[in-house]
Amino acid sequence: MVKKLYWMIAKDLLSECRSLRVWPAMLLLGVVVAMMFAMQADLPPERLRQIVGGLLWLTIFFAGTLALDRSFAAEREDGCWKGLLCYPISPTCVYLAKLAVNVVALAALECVLIPLFALLTDVPLLAHPGPIIAVAVLGDLGLAAVGTLLSAVANTGRQSSYLLPLLVLPAVVPLVLGAAEATRLAVEYDFGPAWWRWVQLLAGFAVVFITAGIVLFEFAVEE
Amino acid sequence: MTASHVAIEVRRLSKRFGRRLVLDQIDLQVAAGESVVLTGPNGAGKTTLLCAMAVLVRPTSGEVLWFGEKAAGRHADRRLIGMVAHENRLYPHLTLRENLIFAARMCDVDRPQDRAELLLETVGMLAHGDRTPPVLSKGMRQRLSLARALIHDPPILLLDEPFEGLDLDAANWLTTLLQELRQRGRTLCFVLHDEARTRLLADRVLHLHQGRLMQVAVGPAAVAHWSPADQGSTVVHAA
Repeated sequence: MVKKLYWMIAKDLLSECRSLRVWPAMLLLGVVVAMMFAMQADLPPERLRQIVGGLLWLTIFFAGTLALDRSFAAEREDGCWKGLLCYPISPTCVYLAKLAVNVVALAALECVLIPLFALLTDVPLLAHPGPIIAVAVLGDLGLAAVGTLLSAVANTGRQSSYLLPLLVLPAVVPLVLGAAEATRLAVEYDFGPAWWRWVQLLAGFAVVFITAGIVLFEFAVEE
Repeated sequence: MTASHVAIEVRRLSKRFGRRLVLDQIDLQVAAGESVVLTGPNGAGKTTLLCAMAVLVRPTSGEVLWFGEKAAGRHADRRLIGMVAHENRLYPHLTLRENLIFAARMCDVDRPQDRAELLLETVGMLAHGDRTPPVLSKGMRQRLSLARALIHDPPILLLDEPFEGLDLDAANWLTTLLQELRQRGRTLCFVLHDEARTRLLADRVLHLHQGRLMQVAVGPAAVAHWSPADQGSTVVHAA
């Protein structure tokens, strides 16, 4: 299973590197939204510190949804999806491969957006990189876990691009809220019990939705 | 027929899409090594039946067995099936060679590169191995689609209008290849609209109409005299 997982991830990343259909659009949208937020948020530094986490995670959500949607939409072209289901591989393996590719895409987005937000807002997002990286990794895992599962559900229909944000947004409200709060506390160097509670929420969210994806994916992709 | 001699068995299989009943209590046994052709008007449910045989659609009721074992949920046993569908199922940004190597890896084929080269040669596409599917003609993509289905040398082949888009030479080549597969004991199940090729390739002709599967022609003599106008009068029942 591990080898097949590796080859599926490699196939998706190679296809994206050649086609450049998702990542440039995702990164461009992220940069544009970040610049708009930064330009409009003409606030004192202490006020900006309080809201920069929310702006950052909203931007990651909006731009990331593009990548999440395309992860299955590309597979649907030319019937490749049914071809994949014809192979002797478990749906769990397919889910984990798609999850891994989405985690990589969102990580790339975070690698661009976190320094960009720090630069545009003068908020020291990277002064203590460890906690911010922990929040980014957990937020990335949670968002990718929900998005991968719901993208599979949305892509069984014909209006996935319209359907996916409607499915994902309500599901990720706790995640975006948790990540925004944990980021705000990290920026304010407050790593007390409140920060840990938000981090635990993010970790719990990721574990619950990765488990749900593994269990439910087989049913999610049925027609 | 004993269970091991039956490659595919469909038991009381029904499929609804919304209110529409596409397949109605289908019973079918396809013997190992048998070649069965499904005919029927557009929208009769032939593709749905093939997909149900491949366990790509979940039936509303009934079940499918491969070599006597229930097919649903047995992902590892999908290696028993190879399928050529309407869509070519090839990744547009991978080369033909990469598409076949990926398929071979997914099917646990030993030495995937060598197998991909062999299949490219078999379907006459060795010179095009570094090209991508979008730049090929439909006929060439159809050849590749067949190569992908054969990559793991499956005992059962399901083919949905495999001659579609092929020119006369390519169609003749495919007929010869399928006859060779028949001689090698592969179980073949086709959807075909071509009268002459049906006579060449079928051991049995079945007609799907209004969700029911009718027996039309069984055995060489009956198949040789089969005509598309013949829609059968006997519903197929499991043995």
